Amino acid sequence: MRIRTLLAAGLLALVAVVSLPHAASAADPGTSDGQALVTCVQKALKDNQAEIAKKQYTNFTNALNDCNKAPSLFAPAASELIWGTIAFIIVAFALMKYAFPALRKTLHARTEKIRGDLEGAERAREEAEEQRRQYEAKLGEARSEATRIVESAHQDAERLRQELMARAEADAAEARARAQDDIRLATDRAMGDLRTRVAGLSIDLAERIVERSLDRETQQALVESYIDAVGTSGNGHG
Amino acid sequence: MTAARDRNEAYAHGLLEVARGEGNLADIEDDLFRFARALDGSDELRMALTDLALPVGRRLAVVEQLLGVGALAASTGLISLIVAAGHAGDLPAIVERFVELAAAERQRDFAEVRSAIPLDDAQTERLAEALGRATGKIVEVKVVVDPSVLGGIIARVGDTVIDGTVRHRLEQLKEQV
Repeated sequence: MRIRTLLAAGLLALVAVVSLPHAASAADPGTSDGQALVTCVQKALKDNQAEIAKKQYTNFTNALNDCNKAPSLFAPAASELIWGTIAFIIVAFALMKYAFPALRKTLHARTEKIRGDLEGAERAREEAEEQRRQYEAKLGEARSEATRIVESAHQDAERLRQELMARAEADAAEARARAQDDIRLATDRAMGDLRTRVAGLSIDLAERIVERSLDRETQQALVESYIDAVGTSGNGHG
Repeated sequence: MTAARDRNEAYAHGLLEVARGEGNLADIEDDLFRFARALDGSDELRMALTDLALPVGRRLAVVEQLLGVGALAASTGLISLIVAAGHAGDLPAIVERFVELAAAERQRDFAEVRSAIPLDDAQTERLAEALGRATGKIVEVKVVVDPSVLGGIIARVGDTVIDGTVRHRLEQLKEQV
């Protein structure tokens, strides 16, 4: 709102500066502008006097038209320059007195606000940067932790695999040993049974053979042998 | 078991007293020993005499028939007493204890000898001497002919057993095989 007021005041001052010289020249035809016009007309008459005498008015007409043309914007008349200077000073004074302090105050407040905003933005940026660093640090820690966990998981899996392998091998070895023991026991038992049966059959056969071969004389010899053996060696037969 | 052993002990002492009273201990001892061995070696005889369902008269008739006229009347009476009392199954143990008591009364130890063939008196006497030397005791031998030993002799004196039978050697061979 204050900016708009200042812009309106500046525009009003510019209009005043531009319009004041024209108003002065229009309000007083006998001033320097009128004299200049007279002088320009006189100079046109003088310069084209020969042609006017020959009734050739072309160049004279052009000269008059030039005299009627508006004065130059960059080379105004002296009166316009004076009035313009005075108006400029007034306006400049008014501006310096009233508009510039307010404008300076506004600009200062604006500057302060912008500085504050910039500082806030800087702080926010720094905070964001800090948060970004913290986030990256945490992310790095998380990545390290994840890497460590994955590594640990790999190690655990490897250890578990090795343990399972070892246990499986031990179980297999134990099963093999047990099976071999069972086979050996079964073989031994079968061999023992076979040996017992063979022995039984052999003894039965031997009994029959001995029974047939033990005649009276052999029986007597056995008795005598027993008596002699008991008598000489005591209970060695027991 | 203890009651049976006590009863057998009592019967053995009773037999000894009766035999001593009869004044013919050696012959009664022989009769009882032979009958006990016969009972020991015959399942059929043992079943007949231990069958309490069989009338006593029948069982005693079997005893008299088995002993025959060769045995002393006292021997038949003593065996009949035990059979009639229903202790025929214990008769071998009673007789064995009776023989031990009789031998002890003569200051001797009883040796039960089993042989595949009968021994003559000379062999029996030499065997008694040999067993006496082996055991350090004065031994009285009673021979039982037992074909199951196949050959040779087995003698038992108290807890000492001296086995020289072919059966024993075959058993040893069987164990080794």
